[in-house]
Amino acid sequence: MLEILGTLASNALSLPGILGLGIGMMTRQPYLAGSLGGLVGMLEAMIFSGFSLAQIGALELTFSVLVGIAAGMIGCMIRRKGVKV
Amino acid sequence: MNNRQDKRNRLSRLWDWFWSPSTQFSVGFTLISGFLIGILFWGGFHWTIEASNSEEFCVSCHSMETNLGEYRQTVHYYNHSGVRAVCSDCHVPKEWDHKMKAKAIAVKDVFYELIGSIDTREKYEARRIDMAKTVWKKMRATDSRECRNCHAFEYMDFTIQETRASSEHQRGIDEGITCIGCHQGVAHKLPPNWLEEYEKLKNPVSATRPGRLWVDALANAGTHQSYSIGSPAE
Repeated sequence: MLEILGTLASNALSLPGILGLGIGMMTRQPYLAGSLGGLVGMLEAMIFSGFSLAQIGALELTFSVLVGIAAGMIGCMIRRKGVKV
Repeated sequence: MNNRQDKRNRLSRLWDWFWSPSTQFSVGFTLISGFLIGILFWGGFHWTIEASNSEEFCVSCHSMETNLGEYRQTVHYYNHSGVRAVCSDCHVPKEWDHKMKAKAIAVKDVFYELIGSIDTREKYEARRIDMAKTVWKKMRATDSRECRNCHAFEYMDFTIQETRASSEHQRGIDEGITCIGCHQGVAHKLPPNWLEEYEKLKNPVSATRPGRLWVDALANAGTHQSYSIGSPAE
């Protein structure tokens, strides 16, 4: 459980959480925002494994993509709520 | 009643103000101030993370006094060269993603400090083997990543090492044995039954309760393993 919570928190403070949120704020379409966030999550897993697919941990990849999707969606919600025009 | 309603109104007005367009500030002003506040927050965040890596911070809890006393008697604290390894050098990874994960997991230590799970000598000794096993397991799964921040086979001069040390290090390279495979208890005392427990760690399937297997499998899958746990080499 600690591994899972730790992985979630580290991803929220890394690229998927921060860049995912930022990219999500660039669109009003939640699906696009989620997809882009998920892509950022995949990218992060690739970067931290030194672009070696064999080195990517299943847990890390799953959680970075999930956090990316969630951050993208939240970013999209902020865009919809915060931009009036 | 009125007071509560007032407070709720204030909160709802604040919420509306937060999401309403700015009429006083230009786009440039908002961007520049957001950028500056961002730097301030990010700098503060990093400063806090680094502060929590200091030895003073680690041993500021009462529970860590036993740890500190033991560590002060080891070569990692006091040695001929004066180079030291503090708590975070061995327990906190240097890479950003692993570091953040370790910091998030370390929040549990605050909880355990608050409930006093190791605040007496007796409680500490009762839990010593569990704490040691947690670290051993992590070290084995990461190929002793934190040891390798300072120690590397590539830069070891085997000719100036003691005969036994150099032959064992050579065996380590040949058989893929990780640092913790031999160097248990380098900074803290070992519990009486440590060897038996370490052997169990090397064969996790026979030593693990069936219900925990999936948790362990998931946790191990999350680490960048460079060798398999319990390999015949060890």
